Amino acid sequence: MPHQCTSCGRTFPDGSKEMLSGCPDCGGNKFQFKPAGATDDPGSGGETDGTPNSTAEPADRAQSTPGEERRSTPDDGTASAPTDEPASTSTDDPADRRSTDSAGATPADPGASAGASAEPDGTEQIADRSDEDTAQASARSEVVSPDELDRASRDVDAAETPPAESESQPGIDALRDELNDQFESIRIVSPGQYELNLMELYDRQEYIISLQEDGRYVIEMPDAWGIQDE
Amino acid sequence: MGLLTNLRDSISRVTDGLFAADEPKRIGIYGPPNAGKTTLANRIARDWTGDAVGPESHIPHETRRARRKENVEIERNGRKVTIDIVDTPGVTTKVDYKEFLDHDMEKDDAVRRSREATEGVAEAMHWLREDVDGVIYVLDSTTDPFTQVNTMLIGIIESQDLPALILANKTDLEGSDVQQIANAFPQHETIPLSALEGDNMDEVYTKIAEYFG
Repeated sequence: MPHQCTSCGRTFPDGSKEMLSGCPDCGGNKFQFKPAGATDDPGSGGETDGTPNSTAEPADRAQSTPGEERRSTPDDGTASAPTDEPASTSTDDPADRRSTDSAGATPADPGASAGASAEPDGTEQIADRSDEDTAQASARSEVVSPDELDRASRDVDAAETPPAESESQPGIDALRDELNDQFESIRIVSPGQYELNLMELYDRQEYIISLQEDGRYVIEMPDAWGIQDE
Repeated sequence: MGLLTNLRDSISRVTDGLFAADEPKRIGIYGPPNAGKTTLANRIARDWTGDAVGPESHIPHETRRARRKENVEIERNGRKVTIDIVDTPGVTTKVDYKEFLDHDMEKDDAVRRSREATEGVAEAMHWLREDVDGVIYVLDSTTDPFTQVNTMLIGIIESQDLPALILANKTDLEGSDVQQIANAFPQHETIPLSALEGDNMDEVYTKIAEYFG
């Protein structure tokens, strides 16, 4: 959510059309651009913490014997899994189980490990987040006229490190190109360094009246105060 | 009432014939940075109104806001032409604060100048779209006119069907090549001048009256 209304704080995804006619909520025309790479979401940290726990649990099960484990599953439901596993093994003779069930353990193990790989919801969410970051990062970098694209991508090499992931979503790439064509009239290479798309500046009705540091900008809409109700 | 209206109409028709049109044409002075746009605007304004339009500088992007001088009356061959002059910031596709550091400028000032210059280009392009009736396109005749900016702006001006006068400025400098500009834009008339020295301004005023009167 790189664009944020500075009046009410509402955020808009990169390339959103909603904000073009002012903030739908408060009517504000001042927005802030937050680069995607800067988002240090504490929530993602929590999810990564959860992932090892969920994978550790099936790993413990895989080590124990499957036959005994099925019997002990009701116990698992009442208490936390990793601590229960050793408890259930202690009730039986460990030496017997290992010797008798070691052959039977191998066919059941794949099932247990398959369950482990299907489980990690947390890791999938994290993958989604990194996709979003890449899309936003390259959306900011692919700009201006085609003859300047080479230099533009070189300037933001750091933000574009995983290009392979973005290639896996051709639809989004096409959309992003379209949105860039629509929106990108001034590219801030770094503070004090700008690249301008003259045709875009000429073609667009909105008039940029003030650029500010950190990607903030003020635009004057043709009918700035006549915002229609949705 | 009808008689009065008719009388007023006929009077206004006569005055229209004697003088220029009621509404002064708004003429934008466009061109790349440091071509001498403000020097020309000041020259025209001083010659016909006694005022100046804005400060001139050898540092690029001195003009970062469009400045307007209204009701400049130019007399040519017994005919009066009234125009509003809009001196616009130099148009470019790249603005870099490092360019200003060579002119003994602190980094903070250079960065701010760069940002203002960028806003100025956006403003100039906006004026071109909305607010000008004609264009005086100023080029530095000591530099190569075949640039992306010049081609694009002349193209936009032509697509708008705006009357355009191309001026090859800085003829007082060594290395001035007016013919190169004439060759670059053969579909337009190119007038040589030195806005700084005031050379060939008579022809410039004659052409302004002819194109924008």
